Parts: sequence; C-alpha cells; structure tokens
Amino acid sequence: MLVFIARRLFVSLWVFLAATAVMFVLAANANDPLEEARQLPDNERDAAMATITERMNLDKPVLIRYLLWLTSAITGDLGVNRQGQDVNTMLGTAFPATIQLLTAATILAIVFGISIGVISALRQYSGLDQTVTFIAFVCFSLPLFWVGTLLKQYGAIEINNWLADPTLSAMVIAILSIVVGLSCSALLITDRRTRWTTFAVTTVVMAILLTVLSATGWFAEPGLGIFVIALTSIAGAVAFTTLVSGLEWKSPPMRAALSAAAIGIVCAVVLAPLLDDPNIATLLVLTLITVAVCAGLGWFFGGELYRRQAIPAAVFTGLFTAGVIFTDRVMQSFADYSAHSRIRGRPISTIGPSTPNFEGTFWEHTLDSAGHLLLPTLALVLVSLAGYTRYTRASMLEVMNQDYVRTARAKGLTERAVITRHALRNGMIPITTLTAYDIGTLIGGAVVTERVFGWKAMGVLLFDGIEQGDPMPIMAFFLVAGGAIVIFNMIADIAYAFLDPRIRLS
Amino acid sequence: MMRKNKAQPAGTTQTPGTAADAAQGMDVVARTQFQLVVRRFFRHKGALVGMVLFGLILGLASTSIGWGPIPGWWDKNPVSTGAVVEGGRPTLGLWPSFLGGGGLSWGEHPFGQDDIGRDYFAVVMRGTQVSLTVAFLVGIVATVIGTVIGAVAGYFRGWTEAVLMRLTDVMITIPVLVFAAVVAAMAGRKGIVFLGIMLGLVTWTQTARLVRGEVLSLREKEFVEAARSVGTSAKRIIFRHLLPNVVGIIIVSVTLAIAAAVLLESALSFLGLGVQPPDTSLGRLITDYQTAMMTRAWLFYWPGVFIIGIALSVNFIGDGLRDAFDPRQNRVRD
Amino acid sequence: MSINPPLNTSGTLNTGSTAAEPVTEAAEEVHTAYTLADAKPPLDEELLKVENLTVEFPTDDGAVKAVRGVSYTLHAREVLGIVGESGSGKSVSSMALMGLLPKSARISGSITYRGQDLLSMRPAQQRALRGEKIAMIFQDPMTSLNPVHSVGDQLAEAVLAHHLVPRKQALGRAKEMLDMVGIPQADKRLRAYPHEFSGGMRQRVMIAMAIINNPDVIIADEPTTALDVTVQAQILEKLLEVKDAVNAAILMITHDLGVIAGMAHKTLVMYAGKSVEVGDTDHIFYEPRMPYTAGLLGSIPSLEGETDSRLRPITGTPPSLIHLPRGCPFSPRCPLATDVCEESEPDLAGVGEGHWAACHHSDKLAEAEDPTAFFRADPETAPPAGAGTESEEGR
Repeated sequence: MLVFIARRLFVSLWVFLAATAVMFVLAANANDPLEEARQLPDNERDAAMATITERMNLDKPVLIRYLLWLTSAITGDLGVNRQGQDVNTMLGTAFPATIQLLTAATILAIVFGISIGVISALRQYSGLDQTVTFIAFVCFSLPLFWVGTLLKQYGAIEINNWLADPTLSAMVIAILSIVVGLSCSALLITDRRTRWTTFAVTTVVMAILLTVLSATGWFAEPGLGIFVIALTSIAGAVAFTTLVSGLEWKSPPMRAALSAAAIGIVCAVVLAPLLDDPNIATLLVLTLITVAVCAGLGWFFGGELYRRQAIPAAVFTGLFTAGVIFTDRVMQSFADYSAHSRIRGRPISTIGPSTPNFEGTFWEHTLDSAGHLLLPTLALVLVSLAGYTRYTRASMLEVMNQDYVRTARAKGLTERAVITRHALRNGMIPITTLTAYDIGTLIGGAVVTERVFGWKAMGVLLFDGIEQGDPMPIMAFFLVAGGAIVIFNMIADIAYAFLDPRIRLS
Repeated sequence: MMRKNKAQPAGTTQTPGTAADAAQGMDVVARTQFQLVVRRFFRHKGALVGMVLFGLILGLASTSIGWGPIPGWWDKNPVSTGAVVEGGRPTLGLWPSFLGGGGLSWGEHPFGQDDIGRDYFAVVMRGTQVSLTVAFLVGIVATVIGTVIGAVAGYFRGWTEAVLMRLTDVMITIPVLVFAAVVAAMAGRKGIVFLGIMLGLVTWTQTARLVRGEVLSLREKEFVEAARSVGTSAKRIIFRHLLPNVVGIIIVSVTLAIAAAVLLESALSFLGLGVQPPDTSLGRLITDYQTAMMTRAWLFYWPGVFIIGIALSVNFIGDGLRDAFDPRQNRVRD
Repeated sequence: MSINPPLNTSGTLNTGSTAAEPVTEAAEEVHTAYTLADAKPPLDEELLKVENLTVEFPTDDGAVKAVRGVSYTLHAREVLGIVGESGSGKSVSSMALMGLLPKSARISGSITYRGQDLLSMRPAQQRALRGEKIAMIFQDPMTSLNPVHSVGDQLAEAVLAHHLVPRKQALGRAKEMLDMVGIPQADKRLRAYPHEFSGGMRQRVMIAMAIINNPDVIIADEPTTALDVTVQAQILEKLLEVKDAVNAAILMITHDLGVIAGMAHKTLVMYAGKSVEVGDTDHIFYEPRMPYTAGLLGSIPSLEGETDSRLRPITGTPPSLIHLPRGCPFSPRCPLATDVCEESEPDLAGVGEGHWAACHHSDKLAEAEDPTAFFRADPETAPPAGAGTESEEGR
C-alpha cells in the first residue's frame, strides 16, 4: 500500500510538472503583453515597453522564461505580474475566498447529490425517480453564468425586499406546505395510503407552522429556543438510530443516541455563556469533546452486542445536536446583524466574498460569510449536483443487480442492512473517481461564479493574466487549481484502493 | 452485443434465452443489432422529446435568417438597426385565445428589439447558428481525437499506452474551462471555425478514457484473439474489429460532448474570451445584456432559453442513445 | 428469533478431512468420498410443499410465463433434484421459495414450509426464515460473495442476522463452518477477501454460509456449473456431507443429469415452466417416460464402452415463454410428436409407482428397449438403436 502511494505520488509529480510547462507556454501566448504599452503616446511608449520587456523577460525564449519561473517557483517565489505587483501577495488575498466557495459547494454537491442519487435508485421508476432524473437533466444543461446572474439579480433583491417585511402570504404558505408534504411522502417506501396520510399530515403541520411563524414575525428575529432544539435533537437521535440499526425503541443504540441528545440539550443551557462570542478554537474543542463523550456513551450503552451500532448512532446524534445549537445561535444573531450599520437590512449580498470592514461577534461574521456565500454556492451546487445524482443512481442500480446483493438478501439480512452494508459500500467505489474528476469542473465553475458575483478571488488572477498576456498570475492560479486536481486524484486513488480490497491487496 | 441471428431451425424465431435473461425477456426476437437499438431509442420518451426539440431549434436557426448566402424566410436580419418600437417589447403571443389571450401570434418582433433597434429574433438566431457551429465542431474534433487516442492506447499496451495515458493525465490536470479560456483567448479573434477546432483539441480526454476502457476489455475477447492469431495487422484490428464494437459509446460521447460544448462556448463568450464581435453567440448575448435584465428582461432570457433548450435536448438524446446501445441498466424492472 | 446460537453442530464429520495434512483439494478427495448411499435416509416429515406454483413476469412484449404450475414436496433430509434447460423455470421457482423474485413478478399457487404459507407471509417473517431455515447456494461463486467484505464478516453476518450473539461468537461459528467445509487454516482465512480464494474454495464458503444457521432446507442452484470439472465432484460430496451434519434437505437445481445421478433421491424434470416427469432418480434414469427426459439422457456422454455410444442431442431450442405453442411445448422438438401433441398439453399422470410423466406417448417409451434411441442423428432411421456412422452435422 505504501509502495502504491509512493509510486502514485511520483507519477503525479511528473504529470503536474509537464502540465505546468504546457500551461506556461499557452499562457505566454494568450495575448500580447505589450499591446497596451504600444498605444501609449510616443514619448512614453518605448520606456513602458522596455520596462515590461525587462520585467517579464520578453526578450528571452518562452522555454527559458518557463525555466526561470520554475526555479523561482520551487523556492516559493511566484514572481511579479506585469504591473510589478507581487504575485504571492495577490494569491494570499485571493485564495481564502475561493477555497470557501469551493469547499462549501463541493461538500453540498457531494452530500446532496449522492443522497438524492441513492434514494432515486432505490425507487427506480417511481414518480420521485422520474422527477429527480428530469430535474437533474435540466440542472445538467443550465449555463452557470446565466443561473448566477438570475440569482444575483432576482434572488438577492427579492429576498432582501422580503426580509424588510418578512411575512408570508396565504398563497406562498400553501405552495410551500404542499411542496414539503410532497417531498416527505415521496421519500417514504410504503403503500399509497400511508403516503397520502403523510402528505396530508406534513402539509397541514407545515401550513400551521408557517402561518404562526409569519404572524409572530419570526423571520425578522429567527431562533429556535430550547424547546425546538430539544425536539429536533430527539428526532435526530431516532432518525440516526433507525438508519444505523433499525427502529427499536428500547434497543441499546437508541438509548445511547437519546442520552447523547439529552446531554446535548443540557449543555445548550449550561454552556450558553461560553457560546456568546466564541472563536474557532473553542468550537473545535467543543466538537472534539462532543465526539469523545458520545463515543463513550455508545460504548457504555452498546455493551458487547451493540457497540458497533451504538457508537455511530450516539456520535451522529451528538454532532447533529451540536449543529442544531449552532444554527440556533446563528439565527439569534440575525436581527442584530441585519440592523448593523454596514448591512442596513439587506443581508443577502451580491458582491464580493464578505462585507468590507465588518466588525461583529463570531456569529455575525458567520452570518456575513453565509450571506455572501449563499447565492454563489447555490448556483455552483445547482449545476454540479446533477452529475453526482445521475452517476450515483447509475452506480447504485448496477450494484443492486449484483449477485452478492442477492446473496445478502438470501442470508436473511434486513433490507436496511442489505442497502447500507452491501449496496452502498460497493456503489460508492466508482463515485470516488468522479469526485476527483469533478473538482476540475468545480474550479472552472468557481471562477465563472466569482466573475458573476464580482469576487476579487482566484478567478481574477486567471482572467487578468489572460487579458494582459501575463503568465505569472495564471501560473499562480494553476499551481493551486492543478495542484488541487492532482491531490484530489491521488486521494481518490487511495480511497479507491482503501474501499476495494482487490486493489489494496494486489 | 454482436448478436446477429441467423434463421433458427425447427420453425422457431427465437434465440435461446440465457439465465440472465430469465427474469426479463427470456428470449429476444431475432432482429438486427441496428433495429434493436432504434427500437430501444424510440421507446425512450425523453430522447424523443429531445429529438423533436432539437429538430425545432436546428430548423429554426438554419432556415429563419438563412445561412451564409442562402436566404431565409424571416424578413429581418441580425445587423440592421431601426427604430425601437414600444420599448423593444417582444410581440410573441403564446397565451391561447380561449384563456382570454391574443392567441398564438408572431408579431413584428417576436423576441423584441435590442437597444439599437435590431430585431432580437434574428440576433438570437444568428447566435444560435454560431453556438451550434462551434459546438458541432468541438464535438467532432474531440470525438475523433479522443477515439483514436483511446483506441490506440487501449490496444497497444506498454510504451504507446503509457505515453498516451500520461498525455491524457497532463490534460486532465488542467481544468477544462481554464484550458479553454487560455486557448480561446488566442483563437477567438481568428473566427468561430478556428475556435471550435481549438476547443476540440482541449476537450477530448473524457472520450479517450471511455474508449480506452472499452477497448481494453474488448481486446481480450476471443474474436480479437482470433484476428491476431491469423496475422491481421494492428491497424486493421483496431479499425475493423474494435472500433465497430465501440461505435455505441462513441455516438453517445459525441452527443454529450456537443451538449457540454454549447455550455463551454457560452461560458467562454460570457467571459469575453470566446466569440468576438462583430460575431455573436448565445453566451455573448447574455453578457451583453446582463445589466439590462431588470429593465428589458427578454434580452437576457431568450439566449438563455435557447442554450438550455439545446443542451437539454442533446443531453436527452444522448441518454436515449446510451440506453439504446447499452440496456444493461434497465434489466431488472421492479 | 432465538437468543442462542446454533453452536451444537456435530463436530465429528470434519475430522480427518481438514487440519493436519498438507491440504490440497485433490488430496482431500481421497479421504472423503461421501455418496448418497452413505447419507442419512429421508424422513417422512414434509418440510416444503409447493403446490401449483406459477410465476409470470410482465414485459413490454407480454407476460413471460416462467413457471406454469409446478408442484412437489420436499421431505426432511431428502435430496430432490430439479433438472431442466436454462429458461425452464427451475431457478425462478427456487427464487420464489426464497422470496427473492423482483417485485414485478406475479406469483400464484402456494408454497408452505412446515405448514406456514410462505407467499402470504409478511416480508419480515419471510426474512426471518431466509438464511435461517431455508438457505441458498448460488451458481457463480465468483460473483456471489461481496468483494469488499472479508469472508469472515460475510459469514458472521449470516449468524448475526438471526441470532443475538456477540460478533466474536459469530466469527467463531464462521471458523467452525470453514473447517467443516474443508477450508484449511480457517482462522486465517476468515480475514481474507473473496478474491483471494479459488472458485472451488469460494463455493465452499458459500456452502459454509448456507449451513451456518443449521437450516432445514438448502437450495443449491447449479452449485457446480461454474466450477472446474475436477472440483465439481468434491463440492457435491461436501454438500452431501454437510447436509447430514446439519440434518438438512437439499433442493438440487441443475441442468446436468450427471450431477443428479449420484446426488438425488428424487428427481423432477422441468420443461418450459412445467414439471414433465417426476419420480425416484432411478426411475428417471432407467425408465424415462417422457421423451424430453430421454433426450436429456441421450445427451450425456458415456465413458463406459458401448460401441454405439454416440451422443444423441435434442434438436431445436425451447419455446418462447411469451408465446407458448398450444399443445405440448416439447412437441416441436419431439421425435414422437403426433397431431394430438400439437392439440393438447398433457398433464402429469402416473406411469409407475412413485413415477409421473406428462406425455401422450409415455407407453411408447415404456416399450422401447433404449428410449434415448428416439433421438437419432437422422430421423429417417430412428429406433431401434443402431451404430450410426454419419456425422452429427446431419441434422
């Protein structure tokens, strides 16, 4: 396995090196770097052209310029751009925003894409499956920049206008409730009557909820409150346990998960002061403690027989409860954030990755990032979700027809165990490759999204570089983008080997 | 896949069902491979709708304003300016009369007019022509290169394969959009044909991987073994024995490549790197009018609708073709 | 669901066959030649009763009538062979027993296990029987094991699906089973993955998985078809051996009469979704009363030196199960077919003690000296059997 990784690393390094050469040559020829200078008045022209030629080594052949770049890049110096600005500094400021966008979009696309794909495959030819397939096709065919512009122009303005007076009309409530009801009933694998009941119940509950929330002005000052936190956490505990070991009320995994939720709820009250304005480190430590405590709970309640189910059930529940508490805190700070002098009641932003010079608590900063990330991420997820959905569906359908899935059923395993332990585990293997392949597409998508939403991030390095015929910023961009692709490919290969013992052991 | 049935003895027209067929069809009525594919394709509703939609778009784009010297039936052209009538509002009426609307009517400027009074329908048609031309070029160039590289890499092992696959790896390391953006910056000024070919040169990797995978498994099959053992040349084996068997995935991949190319070209034009004025394309139109969106939304919507229409219909056709060529996924129906 | 694991298997049978020796599969064969004659005799107790089972699959071209009214009874400790070509419905009927048919399948008739109707059971009850009371061995051991889980995990999983025991105990049981089916170094092999096993070894793992919960019924669906000829006999012997170890009955599904010969107490021959001949295996082999059975027998190559021992294959192919012929479905291929065969489909009728056949002309077969001789290379010179010299392509 180590040999495998080492060899893979070696090959990747050479491939990447070759790619930088290709990229450099192309970048150097994309445009004429002297074009602007040529149009200057006669007296300035020669001096300007000489400066640029000197700075960019335009008098040397491309190959030499590449080698010069390479030798300095290896030492960590990415050179200067045509205007003489330090590219390292440019990269430093551009990098975080793009990474935020990419990470959010990748995680959301993978999580939702795979879940929807799996559900769709398990209900092959159902109404849900056909709807999902159709929507996936539409998303697959959407031009990203068009969606982005649409979201920016309509989405942001409409949401902000609505937030000024956040009440819902009866029509909107009705539509939202019906949509929620339909999706809930579509997710269930039961007979028609149960589905109709589910649909009716969820729709009515949703309608009442929305009406109450709208009437009490909740959307202007959102928050969950301890009661809702408790209810959600317990529901989460039941759901996770059902997923991990099946729905049995008095089973040890259920007890572990429920106690994890209970401890979480108590902590939400007791630790409240600690969460007033935390920093990242505090939250990280709290998360780690949560995982440790929940694992302990699972170990203790699970006993010898159930440990394997109880520990994950408890840990998932713990993290879920933590997430609910986090969400509550973010929501509570919304009113303050929205009233902030730099926001003035328009929290959904369409320009840049964050509000410049914004100062506030941790929660307000979180909201600020979220407000800026919301629409770009939505656009990016919308167009990349479809690939995962369709691929996962195909992979799952293929696996569900395999002989070993039949064997698993013949053993008398529950359908849940057949799907999670046999079908999912095998179906995910090809998805790892897709994830690696998709990162390139996502990077491409990210630079377009940045352009639409006016982010001064990595995309600017690329496009300014192309426009000015300047390889330095392009190469800086490529070191990060290409590097990410190479690393993702390697991770995918290793994950593949890890998931598939036929590769691992050969 | 190569099940060409000869007449069966004893009056039966069926081939013996294999165990795997037992759950579904048990026996397949003897038809040629081609007939089977066509039959399966036409059973795919999405593909049929895609065919009709794509046919409409293609027909509209190629006949309305004419193509090159050939005149079209639409009396306006995408370059003449004129007076802006009624703020350039579209005159296309789709609201049926029995619902109180004006019925289906075409009007003077169905898609409205832009700010200098050009007929926007003609403009969008010209953009569609350009986008389709580029997309087809990209699809064809990428498929040809990808197929040859994939087939050669798959058939010859050792050195040839290593070199070609490393080349593919290098290409994959560069995000397609980035690659295309740099290439388009160079090619865009030299016209749409050159742009299409250049974009094809950077988007063939997917096809190459697909074809190589398929050829890798085919080259171990008995009929290739047999051809080799009687001394058939490598060229002949690749072109006469292997490629006819991967024709299915090639056709599928060319459709998907075209759909992807429409989106790629429009994204590049949006970024200002693809088609350059005075030429226009659907992506270019969106860039030009994105700020007009709040006031004259039709200028933004129409090109977008056409991009989605083309990409969606071609994707549906591709999906139908994939199911038709490789029906494995649909075997168990429950 | 019982709380105690079935740990009380007879530990006596596997002595000598595994452990100490340098175990190659061939070496082992010498030690345990276990035949049907050595096996425990069947009991009167009825385990499984299948009555008038039909299975149809709707397709775009019409309903595929895969099984059209099959009935049989499996007694405790009995080995019942079901023989037929691919597509004769033998596998589909066994999948129906397991409740493993796709949801689109339309099933009617009744299947009772110890008096409980399997078809009307709730899915959870059906699942509790699967792998616990009725276990199954599949045709292709190369694809029947999940490549990403270790063999030990996959075996233990079968125990854990039905018994509330610690994992360690389940793994211990798995090891015991691997020992029993003759896999050397069982505790080491538990951690191995399926791709590290040969085909024969994987089929042994499948057998171990089938018997791990001491089932009453083992359904073996072509258990040796995918294996090398040298391994086939060992697997069959092992199957007989473990059947006695857990006191199970076997439903042996195969297209190969040779497999049935040394294995089954009773045999049922299926053609086009129907049982066309049922009886003691000896009757089926020596006094076939249905031309199809005779044809199958004629298709077995014989090593014993008859001078005229040529193969006598059945010509043609089985009928479409969507558009069945009106009369006897075998009539288009039958050398004895007359007008009546094309008019009406015969039902099973008694042709001897414990012997039934569905043929209008079973008396003709009874009279013939060599029933297989009806299947001649050249229909002109049909019976009596004579040495033919013309080539097989003559058909």
